[in-house]
Amino acid sequence: MKKVTILGAGNVGTNCALFIAEKNVADVTLIDVKPEYAAGKALDLMESGPIRDYDVVIKGSHDLYDLVYSDVVVVTAGKVREPGMKREDVLEDNLDVADSFVNELAKFAPNAVVIVVTEPVDAITYYILKRTGFPPHQVLGMAGVLDATRASEVIAKKLQVASTDVEATFIGGHHDYMIFLPQYSRVSGIPVTELLSAEEINWVREEVKNAGHKILENMKRGTAFYAPAAGAARMVETIIRERHRVLSAPVYVSGEYGLRDVCIGLPILLDKSGARRIIELKLTDDQKDELIASEKVLRRTQEKLVSRVKEKAS
Amino acid sequence: MKKASIIGAGHVGATAGLYLLEKKIANVVLVDIIEGLPQGKTMDLSHAAPLRKYLHSIVGVNDYAEIADSDVVVITAGLPRKPGMSRLDLLATNAKIVGSVAEQVKTYAPNAVVIVVTNPLDVMCHVVKEVTGFPKNRVIGMAGVLDSTRFRLFIAEELGVHLSDVVALVLGGHGDDMVPLPRYTSVSGIPITELLSPNTIERLVDRTRKGGGEIVGLLKEGSAFYAPASSITEMAEAVLLNIRRILPVSAYLEGEYGLKGVYVGVPAILGENGIERVIELALTYDEKSALHASADSVSKSVAQWEEMKGT
Repeated sequence: MKKVTILGAGNVGTNCALFIAEKNVADVTLIDVKPEYAAGKALDLMESGPIRDYDVVIKGSHDLYDLVYSDVVVVTAGKVREPGMKREDVLEDNLDVADSFVNELAKFAPNAVVIVVTEPVDAITYYILKRTGFPPHQVLGMAGVLDATRASEVIAKKLQVASTDVEATFIGGHHDYMIFLPQYSRVSGIPVTELLSAEEINWVREEVKNAGHKILENMKRGTAFYAPAAGAARMVETIIRERHRVLSAPVYVSGEYGLRDVCIGLPILLDKSGARRIIELKLTDDQKDELIASEKVLRRTQEKLVSRVKEKAS
Repeated sequence: MKKASIIGAGHVGATAGLYLLEKKIANVVLVDIIEGLPQGKTMDLSHAAPLRKYLHSIVGVNDYAEIADSDVVVITAGLPRKPGMSRLDLLATNAKIVGSVAEQVKTYAPNAVVIVVTNPLDVMCHVVKEVTGFPKNRVIGMAGVLDSTRFRLFIAEELGVHLSDVVALVLGGHGDDMVPLPRYTSVSGIPITELLSPNTIERLVDRTRKGGGEIVGLLKEGSAFYAPASSITEMAEAVLLNIRRILPVSAYLEGEYGLKGVYVGVPAILGENGIERVIELALTYDEKSALHASADSVSKSVAQWEEMKGT
């Protein structure tokens, strides 16, 4: 059985473990800084195993040594936003959190594919990539899958069709500058541009952009976790089961789409090695401009991380 | 509890029963005129229930009265194709079989949504619609889902991507007359026209067109049944659970795509009423011509059947 380690036993981490176990994808180790917290969550999950037919083992730990032999590491540890906060507002806190495990991650799980969920996801992905020194294809973020599943649900409701028939593509940063690609978004193969008006497509884009905020405002405490956990679990399953799936994820670019040295959401071919390659789509001129604008915002943050990486490394 | 009846306990019918049980969708009745055949197959399936954790019952019968109150009736009864045999060769025999089945469905399951599987498919849909007098939304043919699943497999293998990322839309009649639409066939939303050369697409289309024949040629005796049964299950599930999926199905057109009074494969929303709505795509001139040619060929076969009936 393959092994997935999830850093952070909060709602996203624990539900990710749940989804992985429900599909019997891999053994899971949940690691949290709080002593025994992850062990409690893991025990609760394992106690549902006889009813839910688990073949896998879920363990809890607060020792980073338990990262050993991981095939995939999912990073969910960190602060989440509170109502009124932007994703960027948790950056400083979550860089500190990343600092607390990157050395062990690099040392104990040198071959694991890393999936970053912690916000702001593009920047944290960049930081972990640079701090671990892993090859770029090995460190990815989880964002496009989440935006896509939210869009599928919104589109399906609008058209009154099954959401499983809807696929959507989002690229760019996982923030207000996320870019919806309607020409690469389809219902049973039919482009949404044939099924929705331009106005309705704009509405879909806005709904998805605001989806995270909306849930945050509704719940008052805590952010969305079911759909993010499902998104991470989808990526984990693809890697563990050695499938090849095309999906969008924050990834390090070196020349693709004319972009360099930044982590940004783009469609990739995901396989057991991580991002096997970045897929270049035909963007309209407007979408190209949007991508440049989105990248600019991300670069501003990520550039500042370079000196921090150097400082920590010395 | 929903109820699905499957007419014909051959490989396609019995395997569709298996898939419906595996997906925990409905109670299943398997009907066949051969005494003992449906009873034996369903007893075998029942024996697997404790291991496979089925929630529904499956029974095999020879008496059509047992299909009463079915939400869905699937007609698979008929002779299979033999090697070298064209679908049209089957027309005479299967029209008779399907016609007599349709009489029974009309009597015992007057409110069911009927999924027709027997070949030649589009003509058999006409037979069922005419004999039962059911409204057009409740007589649907299974062809496009099967052609599409084959096309999806071939594309996934060619590109080395996972099957579930590939979505394909194959319209038109079943088999030689099918109309694949590469523009509407995509991998995670990316049309295959951006991922494969026209020559490669043509090669995969050709293999799909001959997909049924390829299997018949390999098996020597009998024809494909796993993929057809999966396709039936996909459609039955959409109807039984009212999940409103857009699937390519053989539908009776009355003006859509400029076609009237003919069964032909088009995308439609499937829900509890059968076809909830036919989706009209913005086809190019060539695509539309191909669809019309396909419909013409169906109309010709229907005319042949009308002639046979008359004599």
